[in-house]
Amino acid sequence: MTSARARSLRRGIALALLLGLWETLARIGWFDPFYAPPPSHVAQVLFELVASGEIWPHLGATATAAFAGLLLGLGLGIGLGFAAALSPRLAELLEPVMILLNAIPRVILAPLFVIWLGIGLASKLALATILVAVLIFFSVYNGIREVDQRLVERVRTLGGGRRVLMREVYIPSVTAWVLGNFKVAVGFAFTGAVVGEFVASSRGLGYLLQFAQTTYNAALTIALIFVIMVFVLLLFALSERLERRLLAWRYS
Amino acid sequence: MLRVSGLTVGYGEDPVIEGIDLEIAAGEFVSLVGPSGSGKTSILRVVTELLVPLAGVVELDAPVRDVGFLFQDDALLPWRTVRENVALGLRIREVPAAAIDEQVEHWLARLGLAGYEGRYPGQLSGGQRKRVAIAQVLALKPRLLLMDEPFASLDAIVRTRITQELLEWVEREHLTVLLVTHDLEEAISASDAVYVLSHGPRATIQARHVVDIPRPRRLLESRRHPTFGPLVQQLWTELSTEPPRR
Ligand SMILES: Nc1ncnc2c1ncn2[C@@H]1O[C@H](COP(=O)(O)OP(=O)(O)O)[C@@H](O)[C@H]1O
Ligand SMILES: [Mg+2]
Repeated sequence: MTSARARSLRRGIALALLLGLWETLARIGWFDPFYAPPPSHVAQVLFELVASGEIWPHLGATATAAFAGLLLGLGLGIGLGFAAALSPRLAELLEPVMILLNAIPRVILAPLFVIWLGIGLASKLALATILVAVLIFFSVYNGIREVDQRLVERVRTLGGGRRVLMREVYIPSVTAWVLGNFKVAVGFAFTGAVVGEFVASSRGLGYLLQFAQTTYNAALTIALIFVIMVFVLLLFALSERLERRLLAWRYS
Repeated sequence: MLRVSGLTVGYGEDPVIEGIDLEIAAGEFVSLVGPSGSGKTSILRVVTELLVPLAGVVELDAPVRDVGFLFQDDALLPWRTVRENVALGLRIREVPAAAIDEQVEHWLARLGLAGYEGRYPGQLSGGQRKRVAIAQVLALKPRLLLMDEPFASLDAIVRTRITQELLEWVEREHLTVLLVTHDLEEAISASDAVYVLSHGPRATIQARHVVDIPRPRRLLESRRHPTFGPLVQQLWTELSTEPPRR
């Protein structure tokens, strides 16, 4: 058996033991099931959420806000990052704003977005977008400024001008930086969507979570956390495949 | 082919080199030797218009696009394959695709890189990367070839072999070459003339030596020519004199 497989096996066994212990303690009454419902109960709630179809509109709402926010954030971050790197004037204006936005926990903007944009999709989208955009802005901006000058000089002595430099050096180099942060961006997009829903909404996983919390429904809360975790892990796996495909030169 | 007069280069206040004159006739192979940090790379960067000099004139009997520059390190585009890296200059010149393919195949075969077309630079050895860099530059048929300590990072055997191949090609094509190196024996065995740069800062040309060894040359045989030993000795003495205190 390879060491990686042995390791997964050990981890699996540890997890099963932990869940078994939790189940036992909850059943014999050492854990208050009100606060720490046994895993079997959580599984049942989860099953009902899925089987009744109740989860899907919520999952759909969150996924829509997160995906749209991811795309918008990427577009905005890449656009502004390139613009700032190419125009010192613009960088002068943008950099302090971005540094400030980067320094604060951006989720504190959620209430403001709700006031401005209402409790619908727009406020969630805005939060997810800004979380992603600031991250991507810096990876593009720094990616361009820290591009390998030796490569720039090579291409110039081969006769390349601005357009060729962009295509052969800047864009591939920035792609590598952005993809390096892509998984974090996916996580941020989800954080933005869920937190936005948490603050004010009538749909979404964040809304359900908020509902579960106000009704002191620990089993539902844990089940929802589980759903979000699975979903994000799935997206991480997809991001990794995208990264490996686009950065084939790095992985070969 | 190339005449540099009164060239002064500096990055801050103090010039790195001051008042350099160099001349390379068409078809001549000239070397420039000097202590490291004396400003050899800076001279080549001025010739290729990567650097603006503080003073001086560079006269070139060819458009600057016909100058091939083989850099000190072999920084190829890591995200492009060997084929794409070699094709880069040709693509920039908008050579038709079919002609590019043919040229690239030709150069890769010549440099012993056939079969490596689809690899990325990260998958090559140092010697192979250097060959790709050579192919990238030679595929453009430069009229003047500038080489900046091109083989410093290679082991002696690979280095001698690549240098020999390049020398044969240069002799056959009557290419004009300016080779920067700190290897005196390499400089003498390949060149028609050797310029010696003094210690910086404010480095100047200390001497110009003509190498009277007949062509075509074989690197290792040149070293047995009677003029070789004394010339190495003389260059060695010139380079090892203490830099003047200022
Ligand atoms: N981009 C740069 N900025 C500031 N100083 C530089 C730069 N490039 C080279 N120098 C300085 O100029 C001097 C000559 O450098 P260089 O031309 O690379 O020398 P060589 O190629 O002979 O080793 C060195 O002292 C080096 O530190
Ligand atoms: Mg140098």
